[in-house]
Amino acid sequence: MFTKLLFATTASPVCDNAAKVAFDLEMKWEAKLIIFHVLGVPGRGFNLQVTDVRTGEREDISQDYADWVKEELRNTYGTLLEDSNAEIVTAIGDPAREVLRIARKEDVDMILMGAHTREEDIGATRHRAIAGSTMRKVAKAARCPVVIVNRPCTTCWRLFSNIVVGTDFSKASTSAFLWAYKLAREVGATLHIFHAVDIAAQGFAQPSGQNAIEQKIKESRRRIEQTYLTKMKGYGQFSVEVWEGIPYVEILKFARDRQADLIVMAHHAREVDPEHAELGSTVEQVVLRAACPVASVNHPDKVADLV
Amino acid sequence: MNTVTLQSDGALAQREQAIEADPLVFLNHQVELDRGYTLRSFFKMIERYPVFGKLNEFLPECLQQYRSCPDGECVAPEVGHLELYKTVEMMGFPGEPRLEIYPTLCGVQGSDSCEIKAFPLEQLLDMPVRIGKLKHVVFGDTVDVLEFDTVFNLFEFIEGIVWQLSFHRNPQACALRR
Repeated sequence: MFTKLLFATTASPVCDNAAKVAFDLEMKWEAKLIIFHVLGVPGRGFNLQVTDVRTGEREDISQDYADWVKEELRNTYGTLLEDSNAEIVTAIGDPAREVLRIARKEDVDMILMGAHTREEDIGATRHRAIAGSTMRKVAKAARCPVVIVNRPCTTCWRLFSNIVVGTDFSKASTSAFLWAYKLAREVGATLHIFHAVDIAAQGFAQPSGQNAIEQKIKESRRRIEQTYLTKMKGYGQFSVEVWEGIPYVEILKFARDRQADLIVMAHHAREVDPEHAELGSTVEQVVLRAACPVASVNHPDKVADLV
Repeated sequence: MNTVTLQSDGALAQREQAIEADPLVFLNHQVELDRGYTLRSFFKMIERYPVFGKLNEFLPECLQQYRSCPDGECVAPEVGHLELYKTVEMMGFPGEPRLEIYPTLCGVQGSDSCEIKAFPLEQLLDMPVRIGKLKHVVFGDTVDVLEFDTVFNLFEFIEGIVWQLSFHRNPQACALRR
């Protein structure tokens, strides 16, 4: 299922968890792993200096500098690289654009990233962008799934036993479902299809809302059966659950309840023009708090065989 | 500023009298913690005054987790006590000037503070909780941080703790299962 993987890294400790997953995947799937690092953003006009993405310092760009950074990357991932055939690639430019560029050029099956560029105080995440802007831009525009690893993940993908896919019935959600189903079938995991009826958005907080909520839950269940279960072609390891509440709270609760090894979601929450979609707040909140990796799937490219 | 004492049995008290009615009135009162106040006392307070459960969307789930924890000895050996402190961070040079104020709950062992995100609730419930200082960070300089005495009102206290606890989603779960 995975033959080529892209691990986009700043080589800082916030990417360490993602690194472990990336190297693990490379070994388990015998895939080609590309470790990708953007050296810096070029200055305006003609000059030979770049602004380092991590330090903000101006650096003279040269082959020596690029070699030195590659050496640093080799040192950073020294232990993990021992049993790996990963290729280290560097580039100059806007990090998100360069990640998308190499992902498209190499036609990778999946991009792996950490959630942030730098370590943030938990309290500060309330005020600042919860997800790093690079991750946000990549998740929005990538044609392949983007897996965001924000916490230590101790399960290797071959041993996944529970995959949760959250859906809001959008087109992108169908791609997310198909990808999750493909992975579940491949590794023999149970696929938990989940939808949260957003009570805040639907005005169900009214006293007369209980019947309406129950009606909506029944409707959503029927929709899951019609839209998704018909695509599963006899695969029996699945469950369907519809809860009511605030979507991100409910998905996190559900994932915890089912001891999920992976949460799969569409990038933007509803039918939004991808050009105008920001990373849905549901995905952001889930990425931030989930105990397991979160895959953002936005396009049907990697599940075309199932459509 | 009016003061409300948070007792270790979960009651709010003023002048040593436990408060039974209208706890919302005390949300803007300065908090004083009773001797022996722990994270368990915090949850006892939420159970005693259920209206506080509506202050944060994660509180009901935290409460559920709390109810499934053992009745005692829920401590993390690596942590001495929990401390709720405030940060005032001045940012934006170069760039747009910004000032952010946020509370953080962390673990303290000796003179070192540590991140507690990795600890499940069942290792934190019986840890003492203390009110910390206000830390003033200027333009990202986290080495020379200025520290001041400060106060928390009851709303900030509840919100600060629950925001942190919403990140405690037991990351060891999958490891234990294998």
